Amino acid sequence: MTLREIADLLDAKVLCGDERLDNVVVEYVAAADMMSDVLAFGQPGFLLVTGLNTPQVPRTVNIVGGIGVVVVRKPVVLESTVELAQVLEVPLLHSPLTMFEACGKLYARGLKPINVRVKA
Amino acid sequence: MSESRLETLEGMKLSNVFLDSLMQIMNHLKIEEVMSKNVHVLTPEKSMWHAKELMRLKKVSGIPIVNREGKLVGIVSIEDIILALEGNYINEPIEKHMTRNVVCLKPSDNLKKAVECFERYGYGRFPVTDEKGRVVGIVAKEDVLKGLLQWFSTVYTHDERRSDVLESEYFYKSLLTGEPLDKRGADFVMEIGYTDINMAGVVAARLKEFLISKGMDEKLVRRITIATYEAEANVVIHSGSNGVVYCFLGQDAIRVRVEDYGKGIENVDLAMREGFSTAPDHIRELGFGAGMGLPNMKRFSDKMVIVSEGGKGVVVEMLFYRDET
Repeated sequence: MTLREIADLLDAKVLCGDERLDNVVVEYVAAADMMSDVLAFGQPGFLLVTGLNTPQVPRTVNIVGGIGVVVVRKPVVLESTVELAQVLEVPLLHSPLTMFEACGKLYARGLKPINVRVKA
Repeated sequence: MSESRLETLEGMKLSNVFLDSLMQIMNHLKIEEVMSKNVHVLTPEKSMWHAKELMRLKKVSGIPIVNREGKLVGIVSIEDIILALEGNYINEPIEKHMTRNVVCLKPSDNLKKAVECFERYGYGRFPVTDEKGRVVGIVAKEDVLKGLLQWFSTVYTHDERRSDVLESEYFYKSLLTGEPLDKRGADFVMEIGYTDINMAGVVAARLKEFLISKGMDEKLVRRITIATYEAEANVVIHSGSNGVVYCFLGQDAIRVRVEDYGKGIENVDLAMREGFSTAPDHIRELGFGAGMGLPNMKRFSDKMVIVSEGGKGVVVEMLFYRDET
C-alpha cells in the first residue's frame, strides 16, 4: 500500500511529505507510544503508528530508518514536530482515528507486523 | 628560573589547552548554526544606489546579488559603494560593478573553514549557498564570534557542575581497555548541553550525519546512533546535568563514550534490567522511561561498560565492530 492510500484509509491529514506519498510503499507497520520500543524493535522501512505528537517521533523514526509516521488520536500535532519532520524528510500523517481503529484498518488491508515475536 | 618566567610557561600551557579545545569546537560547529538566515539580497538590474540604501537601512556591510531563481551571481560590499560614490556611478546598475566569482560557504562547512576564508580572502562576509547555488544565509565575522561565545557559555556552565565529580578516576581512562584516554583525540565530540527532553536525540542525529559522511555502513551507523540516542536520552532524563558524547573511529571498531556529571546510578544491575525505570510520569508521557534504555544500548553494541556511583556521574562506553553488521 502506498502512503497516499493509507492517508485516505485513515482519513488522515498530510502534515509533511505530500509530494512523496505516492512513491512510498508500506509493507510493515508498528504501533507504539514508547520511543524506546521503537528504537528497540523498529526495523528499516517500517511505518510507525503512534499516539505521541512530540518532535521525538520524527527524530526517532529517522534514526531507526522508518519511512513515515501516522499520529493518531491527538487533537493537534505540535508545530515543532511538523517542522522537524520537514527537516528530516519524514512523511507525517495525522489521523483522527484511535490507535485501535487505525491499526485494525491497516491490518485488515494486509499490512504486516514487524518481525518481533517474544515468548508470552 | 625567575617567577615571572614560570608564570609565562604556565600561561602557555593553559593557552595550548584552550587553543586545542577552540580548534575542536571550530571543527564541529557548522556554518548553518552560526549564519544569519535573514539575508537581504538584490537583483543585478537594481542600481548601486539601491544597494547603498539597503545597507544603510538594514545596517549590513555587504549584499549578495541573486538572479530570478535566487542563485548567487555576485556581491556588493561597502567598499564598492564608496568607489561608486567617488567615481560618480552610484546610479548605474549593480550588474556593471558587482564582484563576480564570489567565494561562498556551504551550510555544512565548519567554522574552521570560515575562519580560513576570512584569513585568506580578507573579505568581511561570505554568502552561504545550497547545492543549487541559492543563497540561504550569510556569515560575517560577528556571526563566528557569536557562535563561539554561545558555545563557551554552555561549556562554562557544565564545567561548574562537573567540578564535584571530576576527581573520579574513571573519567580519565577507557572503561573497555583500562588505558588512559586522550579525549582530545576523539573524531567526534558533542556536548549534550540542554535539559529539554524534547531535544533528546539531537546529538545522536548529528553523530549519524558524521558517520555517514565518513562513508560508513548504513547498518552499523544505525546501531551506533540508536545506542547513542538512548544514552543521550538517559543523560537528559536522569543526570540532572549535562554530558558529552565522544566517538572514536578505530580500524576494527567504533567506540562511543557518553559521560555525564550528574547524580549517577544507585544500582547499575537493576538499571540494566529490561522494564526497570525510575523515570517520572511526565517523561513517560513523552514516550521515554520504558526501562529499555540500557538494555537497548547493550543490544545494539558489541561491548558495553557502564560505570557509576550515586552522585558521581555516569560513564558509558560502547564498542561497535565494523564487520559484525
